[in-house]
Amino acid sequence: MAFTSRTRLVNPRLGTYFGIFTAAFTALVLMAMMFEQLGGSDAMVRLSMFAVPIGLYAVIGLGSRAREVADYFACGRRVPAFFNGLVLAVTALGGAGFLAFTGSLLIVGFDAMCLSIGWCAGLVFMGVLFAPFVRKFGAYTVPTFLGRRFESRAVRVAAAGILGVPIMLLIAAEARFAGYAAAWMMGQSERLMAAVVVACAAGIVLLGGMRALTWSSVAKAIVAVLSLAVSASIIAILVSNLPLPQLTHGNVVRILARMEIAQGVPVVLAPPLAFDLPGDGPEPLVKRFVQSFGSVGSLSFVLMSFVAAAGIAASPGLLARVGTTPGVYEARKSLGWAVLVAGLVVLTLPAIAVYLRAMLTEQIAGHPGDRLPVWFQLLQQAGIAKIEAKAQIVKLASISFERDASLFALPLAAGFPQVLVYLSLAGALAAALAALASSLMTIAAIVAEDVIHGLPNETTPDAARMTAARIALIGAAFVSVWLAVAVPADPLQLFLWSLTFGAAGPFPVLLLAIWAKRTNAWGALASMAAGLFVTALAMLLAETGAIGLPSALAGAVGLPLALCAGFAASEITPAPGRTALDIVRDMRVPGGETLYDREVRLLRLRTRAPG
Amino acid sequence: MIERNEHKPYWRHTRTQMLTSLLPFVVAMIVLPLYADALNDKRVLGVPLGYFLVCHGLAVIAFVTMAAFVNRQDAIDHWHGAHEDF
Repeated sequence: MAFTSRTRLVNPRLGTYFGIFTAAFTALVLMAMMFEQLGGSDAMVRLSMFAVPIGLYAVIGLGSRAREVADYFACGRRVPAFFNGLVLAVTALGGAGFLAFTGSLLIVGFDAMCLSIGWCAGLVFMGVLFAPFVRKFGAYTVPTFLGRRFESRAVRVAAAGILGVPIMLLIAAEARFAGYAAAWMMGQSERLMAAVVVACAAGIVLLGGMRALTWSSVAKAIVAVLSLAVSASIIAILVSNLPLPQLTHGNVVRILARMEIAQGVPVVLAPPLAFDLPGDGPEPLVKRFVQSFGSVGSLSFVLMSFVAAAGIAASPGLLARVGTTPGVYEARKSLGWAVLVAGLVVLTLPAIAVYLRAMLTEQIAGHPGDRLPVWFQLLQQAGIAKIEAKAQIVKLASISFERDASLFALPLAAGFPQVLVYLSLAGALAAALAALASSLMTIAAIVAEDVIHGLPNETTPDAARMTAARIALIGAAFVSVWLAVAVPADPLQLFLWSLTFGAAGPFPVLLLAIWAKRTNAWGALASMAAGLFVTALAMLLAETGAIGLPSALAGAVGLPLALCAGFAASEITPAPGRTALDIVRDMRVPGGETLYDREVRLLRLRTRAPG
Repeated sequence: MIERNEHKPYWRHTRTQMLTSLLPFVVAMIVLPLYADALNDKRVLGVPLGYFLVCHGLAVIAFVTMAAFVNRQDAIDHWHGAHEDF
């Protein structure tokens, strides 16, 4: 294969470095397992499984210090497609995917798959609709892209404010998920651990910005994927002799369906607009696993898939990552890798839910309540599982399970060494940390680049721009800790609200900016304002019970209205100027210099020129 | 470097490629879950078909869509001379 110029900026030793990291992490797990089997203290095992991986991320992050703006905000545009795709997938899934999605599958089965469809579709939408053009433009943040595209400082500042809403909601959700996983590992309170993990996430990326974020997130993604694969693969081998849970859990689904029918689990049918994903407390297993639309109605299922897809596709944190690839072709390819990795993960998570549900159905349901297996008694003592009724014989519907605990409850239920329980938690923590750090970096970059410096000041010295971003990052970390501690809402609900605001705010305006040349600054402002206000209003009405629409689906109302408002406002106001049309024309063609880099270079030359 | 008169044909081609990539996937996103329960009566390798198609099928369709898009769009870029020229 020819060593093409596309790869000229890529470090050829990246595979070796991350191979060494993977070997070090595997060695840690094996040594912790040996220590545990030799009778070592559980506290030491917990501490090593929590602190050592975070220490490794910190070494990578602090070692990737950025000295130039392009390094700080775009990782020098030299991240290969595979590594970028890996990080994109794990960041998109985050703690919500690893913890809440698995638990939702366990409790409501098929109905939770609206989220997995949303994740995969979101990455496809991003790859086809936005990523190549955002990469060709090369702006460090989405508001910078919109401000330049529409030649408007007002659009840039408004976009910074409107995009801040989904980012802050995502930060609050991921800080809670990370705090939850860390609290189980360390045996401390969730709030304290949320503060600790936010401090860790911010500290790791503080000096190196996007560069530190990228390379530490590759390490986090490796840990997340490995930890997911281990328990699921071991059980797959025990069940089918093949280490492929994605393909072999189907037989368990069939057996599970038969057991549920034999135990008289009812067929439940929800109204089309019902949306009842499990909350963060213990929830009963009331419906059959493969039966569709028992908790989430058919219309809600389809709408949620699209809202989640639009929210992921226009996620400002994920789109900023597209700018780190060496070129447009690599950006597209990285989304291909992201879809592959996300697809494998969302095929593994149902396997975990199916195995755990089969254990509950086979070993708990239909058995006397006073003679339950030891593993279930342990889960009861830990508050993860409950049996509602004091009936002689336990029914499946009387078992309640804590949603976010199902990922690490499986190795516990299967009787695996305690290290594998901590490994599952370390994986979930790594995914949540990757999403949290990405959101923190995105909001810091937006505050520094779009609010503090703004449109005319691109010639601000590099050091000042990076200092502003670092200060903004510290501020964002403090706000995140406050959000994680003070906001009492369910983290999955916060995550869904983040998606719904993302679907109604950035998605329509990005669509118009790239695919509708006629859209001008007025159209962009109208689109963003309509999307935000209609969604917020629909959400408020939904939460007060005034309308029958679930609040997580408010974006399904906001998105089309935002598109209409954008079109209408652009049609009744003057057409965009020559420069804006030139930007659109150049942005649509992959060849040529990155537009943002070219603009900044010319601006600097102009300010240096005498007179 | 793309010629000036190639801009419009290139964008038309790109737009068509976008639609042909996304439309089948969007249709599958709507249709497969709605008919999952009816399809669950049938089995593929012993697995309920509706569950199998939504769980595995959509992930596979997503990957194939993206892989085909990357391949075809790169061919379109080269056909019109719009590709990256390092």
